[in-house]
Amino acid sequence: MAVLVLMRSPLPRLRALLQRCWGRLERGLWPGVFGGQSPPWGPALAVQGPALVPQGINDAEAPSLLESLVWMAAPKQRRTIEVNRCRRRNPSKLIEIKRNIEVCPECGNLKQKHVLCGYCYAKVKEETRLIRMEIYKKEAAPFNAPTVETVVLYEGEKPTEKDEGKRIIERARKRPSWFVQN
Amino acid sequence: MRLSVAAAISHGRVYRRLGLGPRSRLDLLRNLVTALVRHERIETPWARADEMRGYAERLIDYAKRGDKDERAMRMADFWLTEKDLIHKLFKVLAPRFQPHPGSYTRLLQIPNRDGLDRAKMAVIELKGNPLPPLVRPRRDSDKTLLNQLLKGYRQDAQRAAAPRGTPV
Repeated sequence: MAVLVLMRSPLPRLRALLQRCWGRLERGLWPGVFGGQSPPWGPALAVQGPALVPQGINDAEAPSLLESLVWMAAPKQRRTIEVNRCRRRNPSKLIEIKRNIEVCPECGNLKQKHVLCGYCYAKVKEETRLIRMEIYKKEAAPFNAPTVETVVLYEGEKPTEKDEGKRIIERARKRPSWFVQN
Repeated sequence: MRLSVAAAISHGRVYRRLGLGPRSRLDLLRNLVTALVRHERIETPWARADEMRGYAERLIDYAKRGDKDERAMRMADFWLTEKDLIHKLFKVLAPRFQPHPGSYTRLLQIPNRDGLDRAKMAVIELKGNPLPPLVRPRRDSDKTLLNQLLKGYRQDAQRAAAPRGTPV
């Protein structure tokens, strides 16, 4: 209403008046926006008197970072050695003992029940390597896989009638005891 | 019902992922099958050997159909990258395994690899290969209780049969 009446006055005074009115309006409607300069709304009375506002609200701000450290978890008492021992020696924390280790009947080394003996496998692997070297010498060129079966013969052995038509690989040593001739 | 859809959870997934992707996995397995047919005994990580075993046995089943079969020849052509092994497959391995109904390979675990990774290794071989045997079949000793009892039973049966057979 007052704005309409004063529309005929010159512009600078009008602008200043509008700004003051707008400022008062904002402070009235959004008291918190101006950084707590205005007191928060207290209980409203029918008779306009001084606003009775409890003074404790301004002090109850969010605690600063240093004060918020007060609420973190920390041990209350030193853990005794008995409690520590119970926790450290609980069966779930101990290393599991393996019960699947046994002695290889061929060579006497230790082996796991479901795994081949390391020593016996190394022995077989070495002999296989030497047999393969003989095969490569016989085949000479790469990609020369034969179209017949192969048989390995050691010193002083003759091919039997079962070895008819097979490629013969000679090994220059005595037959090992663990390689039984079929 | 898919209860765990998150990418990082693999509960109940049964298929292995080898190599760099599905194509790479097939190439890997193809190389292993070729090596097995050439050398008849190879040493490789256990997961790869286990994966390759099924493919190798199915390839031998295809080879048993004979080399006139179109599908068998196409399979052998895909799976064996070295083409002289196709001849070996049809002329050596197919007749060798003709009497067997299945299980042409043997998969055995060996001690973990010596390198930093300590990988679980296995040796896979075709049965009936000319190389030295990996495991010698062991008979139980004659001195065990069960074998002694069985031996006694056999002797009693023979003694019971013999006097009746040769009456005095």
